[in-house]
Amino acid sequence: MSESQKELTGRLYDIQGFSVQDGPGIRTTAFLKGCPLRCPWCHSPESQHFHKQLSWMSMRCIGTEACKERCMKACTKGAIEYGPKSPDTKNPEIELQLVHVKRDICDDCGDCTDKCYTEALYMCGKDYTVDQLVARLLRDRDFCETGKGGVTIAGGECMSQPKFVLEVVKKLKAEGIHIAIDTTGFAQWEHFEAILPYVDLFLYDLKHMDSAKHKAMVDVPNELILENAKKLVEHGAKLQVRIPVIPMFNSDEENIRKTAEFCAEIKEGIEVIQLLPYHNLGVMKYLRISDKPTFEATPPTDQYMQKLKGIMEEYGLPVTIH
Amino acid sequence: MHVTAPISERIQRIRTKYRTTKPAVDLNRYKLVTEFYQSRPDLTGILRKAYSLKNLFENMPTCIWEDELIVGYPAETYRGCAVFPETSINWLHGELDNIENRKTDPYDITEETREYIRNTLDYWDTHCNSALVDCYYPEEFKKIYSHARVLTFNERMNSQSPIGHYCGNFWKVVDPGLASIRDEARAKIAALFEKGIQGDEGRKYEFYKAVELVTDGLCTYVKRYAKEAERQAAACTDPKRKKELEKMADGLNWIYDNPARDYQEALQAVWFYQLGQIMDAQLHGISMGRVDQYVGKYAEADIAAGRLTREEAQELTDSFMLKVTECNKLWSEMAMQSSPGYTSGQMITLGGTDRDGNDATNLATYLILASSERLKIHQPPLTLRVHEGTPEDLWEAGIACTMSVGGTPVFEWDDVVVESIVRRGIPIEDARNYCLIGCVEPAVCGCDFANSGGDGNAAYTILPNALLCAINNGKNPFHLPGDPDGPAAPETGYLYEMNSMQEVLDAYAKQMDFFTKWQVSMVNCYEYIYGFHNPLPLLSATMDGCMENGADVLWGGAKYNGAGNSSIGHGTVADSLNIIDQMCFREKKCTTRELYDAIMANWVGYEDLHQYIKGKASHFGNDDPEADKYLQFVADTYADGITRGISPRGCHWTAGCWPVTLNIALGRITWATPDGRTVGEQLSDGISPVPGMDKSGPYALINSITKFDQAKYANGTLCNMKFHPTALRGEGGWQKLRDVMKTYFRKGGMELQLNIISSETMRKAQAHPEDYQDLVVRVAGFSAYFVEVYKDAQDALIARTEISM
Repeated sequence: MSESQKELTGRLYDIQGFSVQDGPGIRTTAFLKGCPLRCPWCHSPESQHFHKQLSWMSMRCIGTEACKERCMKACTKGAIEYGPKSPDTKNPEIELQLVHVKRDICDDCGDCTDKCYTEALYMCGKDYTVDQLVARLLRDRDFCETGKGGVTIAGGECMSQPKFVLEVVKKLKAEGIHIAIDTTGFAQWEHFEAILPYVDLFLYDLKHMDSAKHKAMVDVPNELILENAKKLVEHGAKLQVRIPVIPMFNSDEENIRKTAEFCAEIKEGIEVIQLLPYHNLGVMKYLRISDKPTFEATPPTDQYMQKLKGIMEEYGLPVTIH
Repeated sequence: MHVTAPISERIQRIRTKYRTTKPAVDLNRYKLVTEFYQSRPDLTGILRKAYSLKNLFENMPTCIWEDELIVGYPAETYRGCAVFPETSINWLHGELDNIENRKTDPYDITEETREYIRNTLDYWDTHCNSALVDCYYPEEFKKIYSHARVLTFNERMNSQSPIGHYCGNFWKVVDPGLASIRDEARAKIAALFEKGIQGDEGRKYEFYKAVELVTDGLCTYVKRYAKEAERQAAACTDPKRKKELEKMADGLNWIYDNPARDYQEALQAVWFYQLGQIMDAQLHGISMGRVDQYVGKYAEADIAAGRLTREEAQELTDSFMLKVTECNKLWSEMAMQSSPGYTSGQMITLGGTDRDGNDATNLATYLILASSERLKIHQPPLTLRVHEGTPEDLWEAGIACTMSVGGTPVFEWDDVVVESIVRRGIPIEDARNYCLIGCVEPAVCGCDFANSGGDGNAAYTILPNALLCAINNGKNPFHLPGDPDGPAAPETGYLYEMNSMQEVLDAYAKQMDFFTKWQVSMVNCYEYIYGFHNPLPLLSATMDGCMENGADVLWGGAKYNGAGNSSIGHGTVADSLNIIDQMCFREKKCTTRELYDAIMANWVGYEDLHQYIKGKASHFGNDDPEADKYLQFVADTYADGITRGISPRGCHWTAGCWPVTLNIALGRITWATPDGRTVGEQLSDGISPVPGMDKSGPYALINSITKFDQAKYANGTLCNMKFHPTALRGEGGWQKLRDVMKTYFRKGGMELQLNIISSETMRKAQAHPEDYQDLVVRVAGFSAYFVEVYKDAQDALIARTEISM
């Protein structure tokens, strides 16, 4: 089969039922892998890279004695070495010899994961054809219908796989499923324009109103994002704006006021603005795919969140804190 | 928005007393029954039972505790426990000396009580029902139950839970009152005398006489309580309490001779009938049925007429509920493993529909739910019947209650339950009047002698052991000292001799044929003996059909009859068959010989294979069609086999799937299974997958477990789900949970019980029990205070797959 005839596929890192935070009702969320942004606070670090990644979950590792070092033997590059020791949760008197992945050597080939039966080592990222994903999502249809929910396509940045997403939402819409797209807004307008007829709601992130600061923090400027938001509203789209509130980055009053001013301009398309206070639950996840230390901050206080909510409400906007 | 009003001071005092009083063994009932049986060796059968019960009603102490508004208790001390030597006493030999110190459910005991019991054990050793069963049971049973361990039965230990699991017709005791049944019995006897006793009508005479004796006895008992209330009123210096006692005395003198006049009298009438049944036959799933339907109109009328405020109605309900919860049941430490935490199994059913299918929610539905929620009491267990027409407010109240009191209420879906009852041949109008019995067993309220709990020892079919017999030529690989040698079941060959999955399935089906036949035989024999020596005239007095037919419920007198069994380990067997097929036949990852040897070696020396099966193989519970495909087969082989059985009362047996916590205790004596389970690990719980093997989230789990026909399980199914509290966070959180539940039900689910509590909280409670005295969790068919549950069961609760957002 030549490259052009190859069936269209998309890459996902997770599918989650009973999603209660990603749009109305109870939903199933498909998380697509890969994102052009590099938000340091990202709570799904495995969502950032487009390629499949070797992941390691320490709590599943049963130690090299029990598994007879199958992973090390399977790795032809010598990327797996002895790592930390950890007490066995079932019998704390026993110390397990865990493994460690040398990230500078590992090329994410996945050979070791076939031999890691407990799936402590596993590949993050799975490819689906359009029909496979649609069939998988439709298995949850009864829940969506009873729970007045639907499907949310999220990421990563799902709009970085636009052809795939378009085909998926077309088929889901034909089945009468409520569709939400969770996006950073950082994608070509033509892609948004193409899926617009099939989408009921956009969960749309706004991170900073100053493009230079935006770029400094998350690697890309914000003009395209703001422009797409305006165009979506002009074309009649419904937006649920999400603002991650990150200390030392965008949580200052000035930025929140500017964000509110922007939102006020496109108010007719905004169903609600959600303020999402930074949390550090994602910190542990970084260690699954890298050794690098990561961004950590103190979550904003409830009181401060209330203050920001108050500010945005001055602009006549519907705001909730999540 | 759901809000719960604060508890009144007096109710708070009763509740504090309840939570701080250690139950004690009470000698009164034991002594009265012993003296009666010893002094009247001339009496047998139903008349001995009836005279003995009447004797209790005439001589048991009458106890009205401080503060309470609903009264009546079968012991002389608060939370004391009556003892039932006539059913089973043999187990007590070994435990009498240490009963106050045992780990779970300890009981205080005075030396005088201990001495009296010790001195009479010899008499009961040869006179209790357990002894009568042991000498009657055919020798052939022994090999089957003791060795194969598919059927649970214990010599000397049987009958400590006597025949229970039924619900009488409480409507009749509220209105027109129990005395009318006594009068009816007298009229029936007079009519027999008038025309002469013909044919086998001697039995009818005996039955009506017994009914007359016990109903008259209970009426007397209520009047004795009236006297006690008068006595306390006369001595009372607090004018408010004095007035209450006077009203109480007036009510007690009135009810049973007349229809109840108000909410308090209706509750009191319900309670005395329940109390009488407890004194007759111990607490083995003696259920109270649709209490909101019996008493709701009285509460509504009182409030409408200004006789009660809503707060006063709530306080009466609180007092009633605390009365029910005060009762507990003494049983052996081993049997207690099934239902730890001083449980008494007096199930109350709320909500649902009327006979025409219209929603039947009333004020009492909310009052009873609110009592449970605000008092945080794990007993009595509550069932909330839900259906397409259940009001939003009731859903919200039910979910609020289950968040406060883990697993209370149980949610039961009318469509599936009614269908299961209709399949028993019962008209739909009656089926809609169902209540739950014991844990989760449906029966028509007040007219259906469900007997869904067997004898309490023989109610379970342990499916994983049948599978082990199937692949090990009829022998259970697990040997306990004293087990007979040789096969106990059909010799169906060894796994390594089987050349196709069909051969494995055939072998299992053959074992199930064999074991379901013996299950039915054993309990039928038990019921026959029990029905001869220990009929239930007080229950029969109200149960529709018995007075018309002149026959006790145990002789088939009820309008409808049931006989229920429960299976344990569906998930373990469905997954084991899936693994055999996947590993040996479909994917050929190992040979049948390797898998057989690995299982028999408890996986020692086969670690690679074991790890592969546990981690890489696909398992039941993840909505994988291949991995789930044996569930229906497992469900059908058991259910069809059991349902073929015919009970002594002529009805077909019914299948169920609820393990209480026996999946843990029995797991300890179940050999390794093909799904990767090692010796001693727990078996799957209810209809759930093997713990930890459902890795694909709640939707996949629900999709998997609805792949069998639950309406075939007329004796109930049980599904535990644990939600992390964050799953309900935010506005509309409870509706989202409701919608997940509703989806399960609409897909054919029958029952659901929830723990909305995090594993972290349970771990903290394990480490610091003193700080978590009121933490109630759903354990199995019942809820319990977490700190009163034994450690293995606590661990199993923590390990249950948790659904978060």
